[in-house]
Amino acid sequence: MSDNTPSPKLRLSGVTKSFLAPRTGLSTLAVAEMSLDIQTGEFICIVGPSGCGKSTVLNMIAGLDVPTAGVIQKDGQAVTGPGADRGVMFQDYALMPWQTVEGNVGFGLRHGTPGQHLNKTQRNQRIAHFIDLVGLRGSEHKYPHQLSGGMRQRVALARLLANGPDILLLDEPLGALDAQTRLILQAELLRIWGETAPVTERKTAIFITHDIEEAVLLADRVVVMSTNPGRVREVVTIDLPRPRAGKARTHPRFGVLVEHIWSLIRDEAYRAIGGDESLAKPTEEATA
Amino acid sequence: MTNMNAGQRAAAWGRKLVLPVLLIAAWQFWASTLPTGSPAPAPLKVLQTLGDLLSTGSLLSATVQSLGRVVLGFAMASVLGIALGLMMGASQAVRENLDPIIESFRPIAPMAILPIAILWLGTGTPTALAIVAYASFFPVLINTVHGVSRVDRKLVLASRTMGISRWTILTRVVLPGALPSILLGTRLAMGVAWTAIIAAELAVGAKSGGGGSGGIGQMMFVFYAYNIDLNAIVVCMAVVGVVALLIDQLFRLVEKRLIPWKA
Repeated sequence: MSDNTPSPKLRLSGVTKSFLAPRTGLSTLAVAEMSLDIQTGEFICIVGPSGCGKSTVLNMIAGLDVPTAGVIQKDGQAVTGPGADRGVMFQDYALMPWQTVEGNVGFGLRHGTPGQHLNKTQRNQRIAHFIDLVGLRGSEHKYPHQLSGGMRQRVALARLLANGPDILLLDEPLGALDAQTRLILQAELLRIWGETAPVTERKTAIFITHDIEEAVLLADRVVVMSTNPGRVREVVTIDLPRPRAGKARTHPRFGVLVEHIWSLIRDEAYRAIGGDESLAKPTEEATA
Repeated sequence: MTNMNAGQRAAAWGRKLVLPVLLIAAWQFWASTLPTGSPAPAPLKVLQTLGDLLSTGSLLSATVQSLGRVVLGFAMASVLGIALGLMMGASQAVRENLDPIIESFRPIAPMAILPIAILWLGTGTPTALAIVAYASFFPVLINTVHGVSRVDRKLVLASRTMGISRWTILTRVVLPGALPSILLGTRLAMGVAWTAIIAAELAVGAKSGGGGSGGIGQMMFVFYAYNIDLNAIVVCMAVVGVVALLIDQLFRLVEKRLIPWKA
């Protein structure tokens, strides 16, 4: 992706984030010099070993963290704080335990900026619409503790969409689910994102995952990050045809792309679990 | 909450009553061995005294007066404790400034401020209110601060990404998130308040010579210092215990209604 593409949806220029350790006063570089342009309607996945600053990047785009250096621009405007135009789906869903499904989906509409231009009837219609979209009709009055992990994830997704953000920031949203539920929700996510719609009608999505296959299945481009400090190692364009749901895994390119991304992070992944690098070497040569 | 049918519930109650009934029976048996005219309290005499005190209405009015003071003093402490607790929980600056003051007052027992309260506020209701409010303030405050500090940070962050203002986050996220802990604090506070009022009224009774400021504590004082009546004192003690039990049950009921997500 060249840097002179006109008006990207989101532009990260030299984004750097360092944290000060509260006691020692030492500074740790979490993200270094990250530059990336993301176009409207693109589905970007970020993969990398744990500790590569994936979540930090997402939080900075959300406006919950401030870059130490560099600029994040959305539609040409610098991001200065959180806003409902950039919706976040957190790893553990962050549902309000005291709110029902209906109350959680409508939380932003009722108490935040997304519902300001709507009257009560319109809000309720919008809430019902998104509860339907994620297949939770009939569970409106249940509390989160009464729901399965997959259902909670759907509530979080419905809440995210009900707020009408134009950028979806998803922080390992499927990480805690079992394999089958995961497959189903990946397909649903692609449908809701607008895989079958024209590119201009799609949302812009940034999706963090540690699952390489998931990244290849979902993304238009996969940003592979390396650790210490977190920086972009390579941006891999996923040239699999869409719609992919259910079919892409059997495409001959699928395995090639997965293997390529794995080769980029393998060494660090081994180091992260304390394994011997020499274990990784022979396989690397075999696939090179 | 477990599901029990009426028969099981009755059986459970029956088991709880076995020991008290046995103890009261033993007490009555011991009392029957005493010579007639002995001032020692006995269950049957206590019941008789209870009947007398109820028929004159003095027991009821004394209980209502004490309860009124407790409710009012508790309400004042709760409003102040919850508001201050939310502020301390939400703002580090407020917390760091107030914490030393609160921690230095907290070990001072409610009865220890009684002398000052009597000198400043007299021996009537204002002193009783001050003692009750002082006693119940700390459990409310400390549990509110604790509850706020344990509200999931992610919920606050998520709210900020939904364009929700800081004030709304405080009332709609932090307050409900801390509510279970706040309710626990108020329940503890109510228990402490009820204990404190009896002690305060007893002490105020001594100062005012068993005068007209009333309350069940002072009623006990009169039966202790003037017309010595051990049976009446036991009646007062039993009323204090039963009222405390009812208050606690009421709070548990309210808790269940207010936090249905913790079913």
